[in-house]
Amino acid sequence: MSVEEVSQKLENVTVSDDAPKTVLTDPKSFEVKHPLNTKWTLWYTKPAVDKSESWSDLLRPVTTFETVEEFWAIVQNIPEPHELPLKSDYHVFRNDIRPEWEDQANSKGGKWSFQLKGRGSDIDELWLRTLLAVIGETIDEDDSQINGVVLSIRKGGNKFALWTKSEDKEPLTKIGAKFKQVLKLTEDGLLEFYPHSTANDRHAQPSITL
Amino acid sequence: MPSYTIDELIQLKPSVALSVDFDAAEFKAIIEKVKQVQALKEEEYAAHHGHFGRRRSSHLVNGRPKIRMHKPKVTTDEDGWSTFEPKAGEEGEDTSENTSDSGAATISTAAVKVKPNNRHISSSRPADASDIVADKQVHGFNAFAALVSDDEDE
Repeated sequence: MSVEEVSQKLENVTVSDDAPKTVLTDPKSFEVKHPLNTKWTLWYTKPAVDKSESWSDLLRPVTTFETVEEFWAIVQNIPEPHELPLKSDYHVFRNDIRPEWEDQANSKGGKWSFQLKGRGSDIDELWLRTLLAVIGETIDEDDSQINGVVLSIRKGGNKFALWTKSEDKEPLTKIGAKFKQVLKLTEDGLLEFYPHSTANDRHAQPSITL
Repeated sequence: MPSYTIDELIQLKPSVALSVDFDAAEFKAIIEKVKQVQALKEEEYAAHHGHFGRRRSSHLVNGRPKIRMHKPKVTTDEDGWSTFEPKAGEEGEDTSENTSDSGAATISTAAVKVKPNNRHISSSRPADASDIVADKQVHGFNAFAALVSDDEDE
């Protein structure tokens, strides 16, 4: 259901005084919510501050959301990317998919990857645009290839990664082209696709480059 | 399948912060704590390896370090003779010696720097060319001459 459809429904109902309240008319006690296509889970990777901490200790689910309203509530209550400490990761994954390449849903897929050099202030805006394109399902209109999206805060440059369920070149090229638009990349901006099967290879070359 | 464009989703953004069903304050506190720990570690690292704790780099960026050489003062008299001017302390010592031992030959107090020619110090070759002359076997041993004794000649 699109925004227009929901708004149209609302218009039909606003004849009576008991019209359902939206997040825009009454942010505190709204009744109408805009559903998303699927449930999404926000994960956070805490940087290790102690050598005894393992990866499983550091990666934790924060919360889940199924509506646009819930999404905005979360975004308003968590630190923005530029406020995160180095070596932090935000992950937003569909349903109960874990943000690990070992997960069954990810194992045969890969990721579109882009590194933003330097600690620019536009990271907040680009991350938000990526999230909106992913949860709004506009980055992948044909088929549900997207499993999730990851933001990694690193010293050398922040990384954006769009995780897919397959390595099929044709649908991935379409998604990659849209991802470039979302990240506002020009022709010079290099977007690379790495299959998860090469995750252990440090010198792996991308299978697709845009 | 419900889908929303980026602009549509932005339109639905509420102006007031909404409440969430998880402990956002605790989540923020964890992140703040990590930031503090990282800052402390960075500070500690900088104290040991940073600018002030760092040894001078062997890679000389601004050229070689300045070394002040104390040049001896030279004075030239009317006849055109140039002489080194001894330091004030040394001059005093000299005068005391002269008074106690009058008539004795004056001994130069200037330190004589001898630079050894250690170019070939690690090789088997002699360090100085004059050594070659000294070591040279002037008188060769003649076995036939040795057989003939002086007594037989007589």
